[in-house]
Amino acid sequence: MHFDFSALYKALPSLLVGATVTLRITSLSIALGLGIGIVAGLARVWPNTILRTVAGAYIELVRGTPLLVQIFLVYFGLPALGLNLDPFVAGVIAMGINSGAYVGEIVRGGIESIARGQMEAALSLGMTWHQAMYYVILPQAFVRILPPLGNEFIALLKDSSLVSTIAIAELTRTGQIIITRTFKSFEIWSGVALFYFAMTYLISRIVRFSEERLRYSE
Amino acid sequence: MSEWVVEVRNLNKYFGRHHVLKDITLRVRFGEVVSIIGASGSGKSTLLRCLNGLEPIQSGEIFIDGVCITANGVNLSRVRQSIGMIFQSFNLFPHMTALENITLAPQKVKKIPRVEAERVALELLRKVGLEEKAHAYPAQLSGGQKQRVAIARSLAMNPKVMMFDEPTSALDPETVKDVLDVMKELAREGMTMIVVTHEMGFAREVSDRVVHLDDGRIVEEGPPEEIFYRPKHPRTREFLSKVINI
Repeated sequence: MHFDFSALYKALPSLLVGATVTLRITSLSIALGLGIGIVAGLARVWPNTILRTVAGAYIELVRGTPLLVQIFLVYFGLPALGLNLDPFVAGVIAMGINSGAYVGEIVRGGIESIARGQMEAALSLGMTWHQAMYYVILPQAFVRILPPLGNEFIALLKDSSLVSTIAIAELTRTGQIIITRTFKSFEIWSGVALFYFAMTYLISRIVRFSEERLRYSE
Repeated sequence: MSEWVVEVRNLNKYFGRHHVLKDITLRVRFGEVVSIIGASGSGKSTLLRCLNGLEPIQSGEIFIDGVCITANGVNLSRVRQSIGMIFQSFNLFPHMTALENITLAPQKVKKIPRVEAERVALELLRKVGLEEKAHAYPAQLSGGQKQRVAIARSLAMNPKVMMFDEPTSALDPETVKDVLDVMKELAREGMTMIVVTHEMGFAREVSDRVVHLDDGRIVEEGPPEEIFYRPKHPRTREFLSKVINI
């Protein structure tokens, strides 16, 4: 058995470029997913049946279908409706919509985990439902949402490897391309894995840091 | 303006098929202190929660200071501003200091400027003996201290009536007295109070009137000396013989 890690060394600059693409597509998807997810999560607890139903249907549909299929649907399917998207944009949209469903469930769970007495106390003081939600429930829910949100971001970053299938030269795709040239599968995939790990570890530290900054004892 | 701050007419409340409040009629005058006593599950807390619209009712009418709160389209938030509600489990907002707990509603609901809201809050904290805890978070307070902050928080909205839902049931025995003292002081100052309680000593000493709720029905009501020393209804006699050991 002979390993040639000089191949990995030579591939580092290209992998680094791939990693920045991964980071870019992931952070944009996180931003989109957070936006959609917060709206969807709030809609799930809003005192309006139509909103709740629409949000519920969105979450169930997205969670019930594979991300890869969703990516294909956006990139290969939408052109049939006259909508041609750049692969990067298609990737961000598919991943953002996908993540939004999970974030929505996390947000709903966080809100519902706050004891009912908190809402009742706020209402009893004459606040409206919206004021109670904004000043009393959401600040508490946010602290509880952070850890599962961190999990979701990490999962999304790893799932971003799926957009390699629509010709986005992110980290995984870059690795594949290099291997077709060098045949150094073990070395390059190890490098790719390390890059992924470095990025997920970074997210994990950021989330942990925010948790510690925001925590109050209950 | 009505003579009654709270008026309940023929209230019926069901949880599913369970009839929890049966044809309740009750009036509370301004400045009156009414204690509601009764066994667990008799509907005392549910009655209180109906009075500020936290629980929907199936029939009957409730008036708070002349406003029918059971009518369609009533602005409940507005009505609730004049009702202070104290819960067994305090329900302080854990992410805010005592001072922030007290000033939140005056600022957001009544649009009182922060400086003024804080001045009032500090005054109220002094009143409940916790001025030095203004910047403490609920987790740093004992149960009795939490309940006193909760009382200050309700008072900050300048309510016409204060309702207490077993305010001392979740407290360590040694902190019960501080809370009861604050409540007695309020009663002396002429606050209208409706108190659901198991503290028979408090009910006897402070109330103008005691209401005995049994299985969702008011079986007897009257001045404390009558209810405690000359109860007429057999159910009241039975209940008191169980809870009072003299």
